[in-house]
Amino acid sequence: MNSIFNDPGFWHRLQFGFTIVYHYLFPQLTMGLALFLVYWKWRALRSGDEKYNQAVRFWAKIFGLNFAVGVVTGIPMEFQFGTNWADFSKYAGGVIGQTLAMEGMFAFFLESAFVGALIWGEKRLGPRGHFAAAIAVALGSWLSGYFILVTNSFMQHPVGYQLEANGSLGISSMSTYLLNPWAFVQFAHNQLAAVVTGSFVVTAIGAFYALRRVHPVQAKLYLRAGTFVGLIASMLVAFPTGDAQAKMVGNHQPITLAAMEGKFEGGSEASVSLIGQPNVAAQRLDNPIEVPGALSFLAYGHFGSFVRGLNEFPKDQWPDNLELLYYSFHIMITLGTLFIALMGFATLQNWRGKLESSRLLLWGLMLAFPYPYIANTLGWMTAELGRQPWLIYGLFHTREGYSKVVSNGDAIFTLIGFTGLYFVIGLLFLGLTGREIGKGPKEPTVATIISEPEREVVLV
Amino acid sequence: MIPFWYAVVSFMLIIYVVLDGRNFGAGMLQWVVAKTPEERRQVIAAIGPLWTWHEVWLVGFGGTLIAIFPRLMASAFAGYYLALFLILWCLILRGISVEVGGHINDRLWQGYWDFNFVLSNFLLAILFGAAAGNVARGVPLNADGDFSMAFFTDFNVRGHVGLLDWYTVSIAILAAVVLAAHGATYLTLKTEGPVHDRSEKYAKRLWIAVTPLSLAVLVESRIVRPDLPGRAWSNPLWWLGLVVTVISIIALVSGLAGRREQRAFLASNFLIVGLLATGAAAIFPVMLHSTLAPENSLTAYAVAVRPSTLRIATIWWPMGFALAVFYSVFISRRYAGKVSVQRDTQGFY
Repeated sequence: MNSIFNDPGFWHRLQFGFTIVYHYLFPQLTMGLALFLVYWKWRALRSGDEKYNQAVRFWAKIFGLNFAVGVVTGIPMEFQFGTNWADFSKYAGGVIGQTLAMEGMFAFFLESAFVGALIWGEKRLGPRGHFAAAIAVALGSWLSGYFILVTNSFMQHPVGYQLEANGSLGISSMSTYLLNPWAFVQFAHNQLAAVVTGSFVVTAIGAFYALRRVHPVQAKLYLRAGTFVGLIASMLVAFPTGDAQAKMVGNHQPITLAAMEGKFEGGSEASVSLIGQPNVAAQRLDNPIEVPGALSFLAYGHFGSFVRGLNEFPKDQWPDNLELLYYSFHIMITLGTLFIALMGFATLQNWRGKLESSRLLLWGLMLAFPYPYIANTLGWMTAELGRQPWLIYGLFHTREGYSKVVSNGDAIFTLIGFTGLYFVIGLLFLGLTGREIGKGPKEPTVATIISEPEREVVLV
Repeated sequence: MIPFWYAVVSFMLIIYVVLDGRNFGAGMLQWVVAKTPEERRQVIAAIGPLWTWHEVWLVGFGGTLIAIFPRLMASAFAGYYLALFLILWCLILRGISVEVGGHINDRLWQGYWDFNFVLSNFLLAILFGAAAGNVARGVPLNADGDFSMAFFTDFNVRGHVGLLDWYTVSIAILAAVVLAAHGATYLTLKTEGPVHDRSEKYAKRLWIAVTPLSLAVLVESRIVRPDLPGRAWSNPLWWLGLVVTVISIIALVSGLAGRREQRAFLASNFLIVGLLATGAAAIFPVMLHSTLAPENSLTAYAVAVRPSTLRIATIWWPMGFALAVFYSVFISRRYAGKVSVQRDTQGFY
């Protein structure tokens, strides 16, 4: 009777992991999309070209659906700090509570006050007011990201805290806490990854319309903006932000870096494995294909640098799901590399004026949109699995953090409830988003002047 | 410092109840004040564009609670585990039913989501009411300041209590009726046509029903917590809450009788503020009372963060709140005016 399923910590982790992964599918799009809305609204103001306003109207609807699901799935996240992680909140609430509250007061209030104006308020607010609403929403969503990343960075690399007389943590320096170097790097990396998601989705819809030969003006707009922003953001995610993130992990969490790479034995000229399966029992990587020296260079800047292996650390400090951590990191890196290649090729074709005519490439761009979601999720899994067995790195164990008064029966019940509810929300979201995409942006072109049945004929 | 922050956290929750309470009330009454599908969309339009703005105050409250009283938040949320998740799921269902109903113009589709909308709003009012009852009665806190509570035990109010007993259930009923009355008053102000006329009728009846119910709860509270009145009378904020309540009752009666819709709705807001403020002032400094032993109770002084952290919050929190007030002004201007059944005046559908 002593298995992982009797361990309450397992169920609390599973529920928090499931609900946060699901929740973050929506904000990553709204944060990325917000920039496109601001950009198009600004172009509309400058040029007076109606096509930019049409793009904003269409994408504001998609934004609204994502925002609504983001709000309803986000509220349980804040409350689970108390319901499922009470002992963590008792210990660290004096620190992390500050940024959680700041997120509500500075970011959510701003975002939710103006999102209605962005989606439904164009006529009432006028062009300038509508532009301001887009900026307010974008600012709110990015601020919210920053406060959450400061909170997470404290768990990865605690700074600015002090141990109080009652054994809990308090803040010793608010500026140190808010300006955690880890948070800067993680914020840049994470926000750019959100822009990648946004640009892939914008590109995919553009490719979809181009392939169906509908909404040609809008399709061209989405494809151009999407592939260009997608290329820039994909490159910046890898370098300098991803690179800086890996170096920081190497300096502050060397065990995590070794586990991410499946490096059991340390050494200089450490290699990066392109393919291989970690075999924890035998303490080796099975079927490896490796690039010698690459890890030493990536983590410390010299091919000869010494990278410490897992065997140099006591086993109870190893991340407890080493295999999943290894795969998360490796698949994320692989996807990130493919993103640069795909968007690079698309930008090249666009520059040569051949983007809309190469159907194979359009198919690829259309079908690529799920992968940034996967890469974003895997990035977060790398960060959070890599932090284990600590809840706050070096200070507080994950197994100490969950609510001791909550029984496994209660935890499993709510996990079942979330699974069912989120499944239904997922179906609704996909169905309604599909409808909006099917309806498409309204263009004052020949196609929409003709009545609907006739239009079908024209399209066929 | 502690009394100030206790007032701030209570105030955040009270603002949430006042703002989202109108949606609970209007939602509960949707089927009785609106008969046709168009009228039902009118009720949704009256609250629709603002539900995220109202709900975000719950996030503001939750965040402020973690920042200032993390020990209490941990203890209470883990103890109320199942009840709190029911509230969260109802909030999810309510938000989804507002959002998706309008996307497809189909009777069956909208009828289905209207049903979910009415049900989730009703359950939210009941659950928040029961939660308030639990705070007033107390929970079985042990010597470590933790508790775990069943939904119901023996329906008694002392010892190993459950979430529901005769006292918390009667507060839940009172909360549902008060919020329904609040919602009806809101719809009277916000709509025109048949929905307006029916809402006006319901507002009067429901506010009349509130009177005996609240007197009954007052008597019950005297029995359940005989220790409270003495503490309440020595707290000036309790007296302030009482004054707000009395003035609101007078304004509400005159507003309803004289068909001054704006006055009636303002009074309805302040009446809820007054009632909850007297409650919050009466239990201070205890934030969570123990039904097992009074010495296990969690006071605001024991669960707050250290003074150095409090000072930090004192710097940034007022700025955040001032901004929120500024947004409120923008919102109340932008969404002013009535929602008619023919025309979409709120840009929502």
